[in-house]
Amino acid sequence: MPQDALWYKDAVIYQVHVRTFFDTNGDGIGDFRGLAQKLDYLQELGANAIWLMPFFPSPLRDDGYDIADYTSVHPNYGNLDDFKLFLNAAHERGIRVIVEMVLNHTSDQHPWFQESRSSRDNPRRDWYVWSDTDTKYQGVRIIFVDTELSNWAWDPVSKAYYWHRFFSHQPDLNYDNPAVREEMWKVMQFWLDLGVDGFRLDAVPYLVEREGTSCENLPETHAVLRELRAKLDEQFPGKMLLAEANQWPAHLRAYFAEGDEFHMAFHFPLMPRMFMGLKLEDRKPITEILKQTPQIPQLCQWCLFLRNHDELTLEMVTDMERDYMYDQYARDKHMRINVGIRRRLAPLLDNDRRRIELMNGMLMSFPGTPIIYYGDEIGMGDNIYLGDRNGVRTPMQWDGGWNGGFSAADPESLYSPLMLNPVYGYQAVNVQSQKRFDHSLLSWMKRIVKVRKSTPVFGRGTIDFLYPENHRILAYMRQLEKESILVVNNLSSTAQAVELDLRRFKGNILIEMFGRNIFPRVGDLPYLLTLGPYQFYWFRLRKI
Amino acid sequence: MSDESVLTDEFLRQLINVGEADILVGVPTYNNAATVGQVVQTIRAGLLKYFPRERAVIVNADGGSRDQTPDLVRGASINDAQVSTDIQALRTLHSISAEYPGEPSTGTALRTILASADLLRASACAVISPDSTTIEPDWIERLLRPVYQGTYDFVTPLYRRHKFDGLLIRNLVYPMTRAFYGKRVKEPYASEFAFSGPLGTHFLGQEIWTHEAGRTGTEISLTISAITGGYKLAQTFLGAKPHVDARSADLVAAMRQTVGALFWSLEPNYQLWSSHADSQVIPTLSPGQEVTLEPLRINRRRLLGMFHSGVAELEPVLKQILSPPTISELQRIATLEEDEFSYGDELWARTVYEFAASYHKSVISRDHIVQALAPLYRGRAFTFLVENRESTGEEVEQNIESFCLTCERLKPSLVELWNGRK
Amino acid sequence: MREMIVNELTQATQELIREFARFLPRLLVMLIVVLVGWIIAYLVKWILRSILRLVNFDKLSEGAGAAQLLNKAALPSSTELVSRFAFWVAWLGFVLLGTSALGILGMQEYVSRFFIFLPRVIVALFFMFFGLLAASFFSRAALLWAVNTNMPSPRLLSSAVRVLITIFTASAVFEELGLADSTMLLAFAIVMGAVMLGLAIAFGIGGQHLARRFLESRFAPEKKEVKEGEDELSPL
Repeated sequence: MPQDALWYKDAVIYQVHVRTFFDTNGDGIGDFRGLAQKLDYLQELGANAIWLMPFFPSPLRDDGYDIADYTSVHPNYGNLDDFKLFLNAAHERGIRVIVEMVLNHTSDQHPWFQESRSSRDNPRRDWYVWSDTDTKYQGVRIIFVDTELSNWAWDPVSKAYYWHRFFSHQPDLNYDNPAVREEMWKVMQFWLDLGVDGFRLDAVPYLVEREGTSCENLPETHAVLRELRAKLDEQFPGKMLLAEANQWPAHLRAYFAEGDEFHMAFHFPLMPRMFMGLKLEDRKPITEILKQTPQIPQLCQWCLFLRNHDELTLEMVTDMERDYMYDQYARDKHMRINVGIRRRLAPLLDNDRRRIELMNGMLMSFPGTPIIYYGDEIGMGDNIYLGDRNGVRTPMQWDGGWNGGFSAADPESLYSPLMLNPVYGYQAVNVQSQKRFDHSLLSWMKRIVKVRKSTPVFGRGTIDFLYPENHRILAYMRQLEKESILVVNNLSSTAQAVELDLRRFKGNILIEMFGRNIFPRVGDLPYLLTLGPYQFYWFRLRKI
Repeated sequence: MSDESVLTDEFLRQLINVGEADILVGVPTYNNAATVGQVVQTIRAGLLKYFPRERAVIVNADGGSRDQTPDLVRGASINDAQVSTDIQALRTLHSISAEYPGEPSTGTALRTILASADLLRASACAVISPDSTTIEPDWIERLLRPVYQGTYDFVTPLYRRHKFDGLLIRNLVYPMTRAFYGKRVKEPYASEFAFSGPLGTHFLGQEIWTHEAGRTGTEISLTISAITGGYKLAQTFLGAKPHVDARSADLVAAMRQTVGALFWSLEPNYQLWSSHADSQVIPTLSPGQEVTLEPLRINRRRLLGMFHSGVAELEPVLKQILSPPTISELQRIATLEEDEFSYGDELWARTVYEFAASYHKSVISRDHIVQALAPLYRGRAFTFLVENRESTGEEVEQNIESFCLTCERLKPSLVELWNGRK
Repeated sequence: MREMIVNELTQATQELIREFARFLPRLLVMLIVVLVGWIIAYLVKWILRSILRLVNFDKLSEGAGAAQLLNKAALPSSTELVSRFAFWVAWLGFVLLGTSALGILGMQEYVSRFFIFLPRVIVALFFMFFGLLAASFFSRAALLWAVNTNMPSPRLLSSAVRVLITIFTASAVFEELGLADSTMLLAFAIVMGAVMLGLAIAFGIGGQHLARRFLESRFAPEKKEVKEGEDELSPL
């Protein structure tokens, strides 16, 4: 693998759960061998990093986020050797692998918890957060509001309460205990030794609890994280830590510290506002959140996404905005869960090719590293009648044949039903048919990833908004050293004309980046552009 | 005259940037810096509260103000280029201001606003006067909601006023509009009103804009146009009527804007108004208390004095306008003592009808006909003030109602005058 | 001797007959011209009448107050009057033309003088017509304004305006016709000057309060005629 300490700034990350991708042993569940076989597909797509969702042994009551053994592979997906096979194959193709690590909690089936709960004198007692009453840490918010009533659960075995910010079967680890911290580092070390390139650390704001606080984003939590980072830098340079912290931008800033905590963090608040701006046909929600986004250290990077395995979260919007989003995107109550919308990208955008392209265009041109959620590159649909958030985790659709090419097993034995309807079903939407045509969504995605990777400006450059008076146009400059790129997006469903103030770029010729045709030179007058519905332009500015 | 001539290039450019709107609120101004800031902020508050999801725009048609009026209007816009404020708004709100060509005139301003509404394809539009200092955010809701829902095309206001405020409207404009056009629109000359997109387009196509009388009395011409076009009308109670300044207390100017335009409208609409005799109620949405009764001190004597001098001095002019019986009747009541003086319903109705007929025949210059009516109206105003001195709100309404019925009853006589003798 | 007388008589008669014979064709020409002229004049009258009817000349002249005047003088309507006048002028022109064909000395000059004078008469009539129209309109406008702004003696003001405009019109007409133009001009100047002087004196000394009130109402509209302790009413 090329040694580039800032590789994550140029990455295009593909998020996938090994279970959903490809099944080679016929048990109806995707596995690592299968994933390894499909690496060519990912390489062709242009992805240069994969983020794997948790594949550890687990009772699977929270889709694998309830881990029962940190240094092994769930037998459903193969074994450690299979994983190594996959990892090497990925590295051969220049694809880095980011592994999910759930630090905050384990499954209640994890041997540590079994020991911890067995008695109050057990050496691992202190590894979890126990209390005789459930009144400590009053007022701390509940995250899974649809299923949990309290952050404390009563353990009948040791007759005490244990703390859990998520499901009650996911007890929180106690990070005040140095043994816990030591052990978790050892876990990470294990995977780093195997060769993984980075970790996505799940639920990091909640590591440490203190009385009288919200128990989120505490300084002690940050100290723990910085400790981990220090060890990482020391022993494994060039590896990356990505924070999952669903917080307002101002709080997120703390997770970068002075460049000595996380390398990357998800920009959660931006994503719903992109969808909102599209429906409002107004750029205001998008520009405002990006204006509020603080500057981050040079080494650090935002991680951007349109959709992921969770619901489209509406925690970080106002009440008025949440109501609007529900009314526009989730009229059917089935689509709503917790405080969000559990739908995939294509159904959210009414399967409108233009809107899908526009959203991906923004994703690829905003300042940050983009993540493609598996299946969105071919426009897969969702099944809102599956429980929890499983509707967006259906099997990958490879072709129009048996089980959509996902598995040779009986369809009834698959880990999840396939999509069957005429619009999003595997016969209509699959990789095989899209590979054949230049005009398919898959082909288009390959092209835009290629253009994105053709310049470091998108990943590493600054962003400056232009504020044309036509509020339906979102326009900004991306700049890195001498290179400048102008991005213009039409957020409305109708054709638009816009005049841009490009005076400081006077004399530059605009070169449209997809077709590489030249557009008129910038002069003294406002630069007039016309755009079709949901169209966008990427222009490279050149002075010759 | 084509539409484009009221939209300067600058205005058009701003409209292009707005693009399309669901709701448009127009504010015609000329040197209104004292009050327009508050009015526009209230309009904005109303839009944010009652239409937060709709695409709204505030359009200011300015006659060339030399004070801060345009800047005050623009200050109400909400967009992402501003430094962040505390305002919770889902969308950009454009508040644009541009000058229309020509001299300051309400007619041109309204036409500019109509043209903007047409180009922006607004479904519901309202016009708010820049000196409506008593405006509340819910006026926006009351005026626009019925139109936005598609239930009505034209919504006129109802105000809480003193029983002696708006005498000209109560004693002449309302009864005559009602008698002629058959709809009981209580405020046919409205400084605040709402209309639908299709009605706005209809307004633009009217003859009003090419005639002096139409341009002076645009507000009432629009009301008449809405009635004659068969559109769905309603009126809604808003609140207290804003206090007006001395300029608009000029009676002759007011008469030109109302009576002049009304008479002028009779010409093209002859078939319509001559063929029916009664009038219909229009729905009143959100009713409210319309009449207040605080004591006012008014110089009635001056009104009567001006009536006397009018009848006496204008005799040669009146002889050309009125019929001999009417003139002699007027001269008779002019001789009465103050406490006996009464300009009765029937005489007043006949007077106005004869004026209308003379206006139609242009016996003398039409503007002079309108001016000549002013002193006679003062006599009528005096009678109204005296008769309703002790009345309650309801009694005033009843008196006006009975006068209206008299007008309706005598309408056939106007039709005769119109066609026949003299 | 008898033969001489008869000879002279015969010669004289022959002379006369010869003169008459020479004169006869000219008379014939004149009669033809007159006849043709009558026809043309009639056509002119007819065309003019149609045109005037089309532009509603009657209405216009009603505005000038001409209709009332004509009515009082038991004259026909303006259209009729103008058309007939045109007829007579045209026919007179042809008659004069005809008489010039008679070759009578001295007639030529009168004829040409007449034709030179004619356009001026027409222009003068225009002036008079429009002047009267303006006088009537503006005097009425002044009357209405004075009544509505509660000025004292509106009729006086109205008449003053009418008189002034009429005098001005009259002097313009006279000047156009060339009748004692310098006298008229002088008289007009004197009258105007006197009126202005008188007004200035009146305003400056006698009519201070009136002048102040007038100026106030014109240039300081905030100060209404409403007295202390009165409330304001708006007609709208």
